[in-house]
Amino acid sequence: MISISPKVLATGSDPLIKSPLDLNNLPPEQVALDIKQLNLFYGKKQALNNITMSIPKGQVTAFIGPSGCGKSTLLRCINRMNDLVDDCHISGEINLNGHNIYNKHVDVAELRRKVGMVFQRPNPFPKTIYENVVYGLRIMGENNRRRLNDAAEQSLRSAALWNEVKDRLHESALGLSGGQQQRLVIARAIAIQPEVLLLDEPTSALDPISTLVIEELINDLKKQFTVVIVTHNMQQAARVSDQTAFMYMGDLIEYSDTNTLFTTPLKKKTEDYITGRYG
Amino acid sequence: MATLISATRSRAVKNSLAKWLITLGGISVLFTLVLIFLYLLYVVMPIFESAKIEPAVNISIDLPANDKVLATGVDELQELVYQITDTGTIHFYHLTASAEQASNQFLVGDKALSRSLFASDGFNQEQLVSVVNSFSANKLLHTRSGKTLLIQPGFHALYANDTREIIAQVNYPLGQKSLKIDEQQAKLPQLAFALDDEKIVFVAFTEDKRLIKTSFIADDEFGSNSAGDDIDYEIIYQQIDLPTAIVNSGVDEIKVTPDLSLAFVRTGSTVWVYSLKEHDEVRLKATITPILSSEDTYLTSMALLSGSSSVLLGDSSGHVSQWFEVATESGRQFKQIRSFNANDDSQKQTSKAITAIYTERFRKSFYTMTASGWVNVFYTTSSAHLWQGQLASSQPAAFTIAPRANGLIIIGNDPLDANKQNLQTFSVHNEHPEVTWQALWQEVWYEGYPEPDYIWQSSSGSDDFEAKFSLVPISFGTIKAAFYAMLFAVPVALSAAIYTAYFMTPNLRKKVKPTIEMMEALPTVILGFLAGLWLAPLMEEYLPAIFMLFILLPLATLLTAFSWHKLPNKVKDKLPETLAPILLIPVIILTTYVAFSLSPWLEAMLFNGDMRQYLTNDLGINFDQRNALVVGIAMGFAVIPTIYTMAEDAIFSVPGHLTNGSLALGATQWQTLVGVVLLTASPGIFSAVMMGLGRAVGETMIVLMATGNTPILDWSIFQGMRTLAANIAVEMPEAEVGSSHYRILFLAAFVLFIFTFIFNTAAEFVRQRLREKYSSM
Repeated sequence: MISISPKVLATGSDPLIKSPLDLNNLPPEQVALDIKQLNLFYGKKQALNNITMSIPKGQVTAFIGPSGCGKSTLLRCINRMNDLVDDCHISGEINLNGHNIYNKHVDVAELRRKVGMVFQRPNPFPKTIYENVVYGLRIMGENNRRRLNDAAEQSLRSAALWNEVKDRLHESALGLSGGQQQRLVIARAIAIQPEVLLLDEPTSALDPISTLVIEELINDLKKQFTVVIVTHNMQQAARVSDQTAFMYMGDLIEYSDTNTLFTTPLKKKTEDYITGRYG
Repeated sequence: MATLISATRSRAVKNSLAKWLITLGGISVLFTLVLIFLYLLYVVMPIFESAKIEPAVNISIDLPANDKVLATGVDELQELVYQITDTGTIHFYHLTASAEQASNQFLVGDKALSRSLFASDGFNQEQLVSVVNSFSANKLLHTRSGKTLLIQPGFHALYANDTREIIAQVNYPLGQKSLKIDEQQAKLPQLAFALDDEKIVFVAFTEDKRLIKTSFIADDEFGSNSAGDDIDYEIIYQQIDLPTAIVNSGVDEIKVTPDLSLAFVRTGSTVWVYSLKEHDEVRLKATITPILSSEDTYLTSMALLSGSSSVLLGDSSGHVSQWFEVATESGRQFKQIRSFNANDDSQKQTSKAITAIYTERFRKSFYTMTASGWVNVFYTTSSAHLWQGQLASSQPAAFTIAPRANGLIIIGNDPLDANKQNLQTFSVHNEHPEVTWQALWQEVWYEGYPEPDYIWQSSSGSDDFEAKFSLVPISFGTIKAAFYAMLFAVPVALSAAIYTAYFMTPNLRKKVKPTIEMMEALPTVILGFLAGLWLAPLMEEYLPAIFMLFILLPLATLLTAFSWHKLPNKVKDKLPETLAPILLIPVIILTTYVAFSLSPWLEAMLFNGDMRQYLTNDLGINFDQRNALVVGIAMGFAVIPTIYTMAEDAIFSVPGHLTNGSLALGATQWQTLVGVVLLTASPGIFSAVMMGLGRAVGETMIVLMATGNTPILDWSIFQGMRTLAANIAVEMPEAEVGSSHYRILFLAAFVLFIFTFIFNTAAEFVRQRLREKYSSM
């Protein structure tokens, strides 16, 4: 049996873990995403209030908070998925590598190649496993069989799915289990080598064992990518993330390293939430 | 607890009630479908049944020992039968017993009338040597001493005491005196004749080897004489020049066509065809020398098929060949069209040679007879071998087919008593000999046509017209109409569906979708007459405009879309989003206007002033005003809402998380549409197209009004067509119930049913497969 031990407990005793970053004064080379005074309106209703935060490179950052707090909305701002929502207006900046992604000259498709996203429900396309993984490469115009094969194998290995599907690559992806489908979707997202990987409650539709596998996977993924994860499961945030941001009613209430946030929250609302007074 | 039980009970009752009602509904739908299917089959089946010949009445007849029966005949209802013996006597017998209240009681086989046919002087002690039959009821008697008499055994219905009684009588259309057919009064071993109202033509071969043609031309009409009075007529004698072959070997048989145009003279295995139309001379028109199967084979009999066109030649090996005139490059020629094998392999026939061929009066069926009494029944046009069997023990003395072709009379020796003669009647069940599966679906060589062809022509003004039932042209028409309609409807409907479901703003979609769905409620009869009476003439006049529109409209649409796309964002933000599609309306109107105003100019520049004439004269393309182009557009409009609604639903219901998944991978809207949305919606889009196809195949009113209903086989977009559905609608009101035509129309309905059944089943099958493939979404 695999015992699920909260990472919170491990960090303190592990000398290899770096001391918490100073999130307010990150050196520019360590910043993956810099969000500045971001406001978002759905019609007249404001959903995000003046969010400012920096997300460090090569680490896992979790957004937590009660339903409707705006954590998914914030995540979707990072790859501009909110553009698809009618009546959605955004002000402020999100800088990726020093460039504002809301600049009008930005090619949204190009941005989304750099910022991959995995959704709450596994959403494999009605194609084979192989075609799912190479979909992103194909739409970029990659047709070289070998490069596609290599990329597919590499991403499936990275997504810890290779051993399970290597004999059935050309069968429908819809025959996979929910957990496998979610890892396939992750493999599909990392096949195009994004810089940032956004995970929108990636395990909420999965069983505990699949959840565990995904969580271990997230731990591996941060070696290659900057990971931003939205979760309503505080234990999950505690287990997988390095930084945690707590949001409430469209406000960023508290943002610090995970250990600090869960052990010594600075704000009353944060403490109330993590101790389960509401949520 | 009591309430709990009662609640459960009432719920159980409701449940089982609902279950039964739903099951009943489902079963009754299926049952109705099966009933329709079975009823169609029930009406259609008789046309594929083979003929049946069953013995009916057997009358043993007492005749003086030396009397020979030469001819027989029967009335239309087969109540009275007669026979003519060589003593010149006619005997009528009852074939049915009288009704009880009839004035004179009689039984089957009772004699109704017996009299000598020689009513006038000059026929004392005469013996008949031949009775010559014609296609009419008239018979020509020829005596041993060379005297000739035309008689007409008749039947006259009397209504006494409210019962019908058939009275036998004998008429003499040319009076009761001997006819002077040969100027020199020679005996006529071979004699043939045919007549119409004004004229009788005799062709005969005399004992002294002359071939003569004699015409009796009436001052009045021949048919007007029934009292036996002498009638005034003019006689024209003509001698026919003979090839030496005939002079040497003599003549075996002569036939004159009922339209008095041709005489066929058979001598040995050669048939000489003479034209009788010219007044001054009898011209040798052709010779027919059939290629026989072996050197020992020779011709044994000859008969004319109903309709004056075909001659049938039977040979000693049991084969019959059909010949008629065909237009060839070197003029009209007699050709062998088809041959029939009257041999039966399973039975050991004692004689193969065809001793006689009997043809029906109104249809193209014929019976062959051998010396051993073996009978075969064929239908020429459909090449159908309808029946074979033994009907007599030897070559019968007389054989006749009832006027309605539903009975046979055979007079021959009594098998039990050689001195007695037997009159046997048979009932014939052979209602639809012209219909076979092959004749419906394969090329058939009809009389007068230069080659076999697929033809649908169910009626005509002429009496001896042969109906031509090929389902190929009308099935083809159905497919052609559906094809052109789909060619127009599928791109338009699918593009519209994709745009509304995937790109249009929800507010506008809420208005546009119901509007297009409303189009489906438009009665197709309105579309039909608009297409036939307004669109077809318009298109004929502005043909270049129509073709320009096919190019200009998509171009203009794309150009508008592109300009909108290039519009600065600042301007775009100020305009309502719904403006873009609405902007297209004036663009389309303007483009149409431009195309139509350019049309006359374009015609003048490129097509010498008239595109239609240019097509016909310079390019050799036939142009019908009501053509596939009109039908394609009109029926396309009828089909678009069907395809649009279903396809739009399918595309719109593609889950958002799939679209988002694709977009999040950096795909553009277009890539997402092609790579994910259309793929996922493909089962629904496929069913939408198949439903549209099913509708196009079954559509009646539009094709009825806009196709011109010409049953031709031609893919040309400028030609009309006739579809199965329109054909049924056009012809069902005039089809006689129970006739071959009626049943074939039901068969057409059945074929239509099968067509739509196949399309829908294929659609459902593919949809299920696709759905299985893309399940769990």
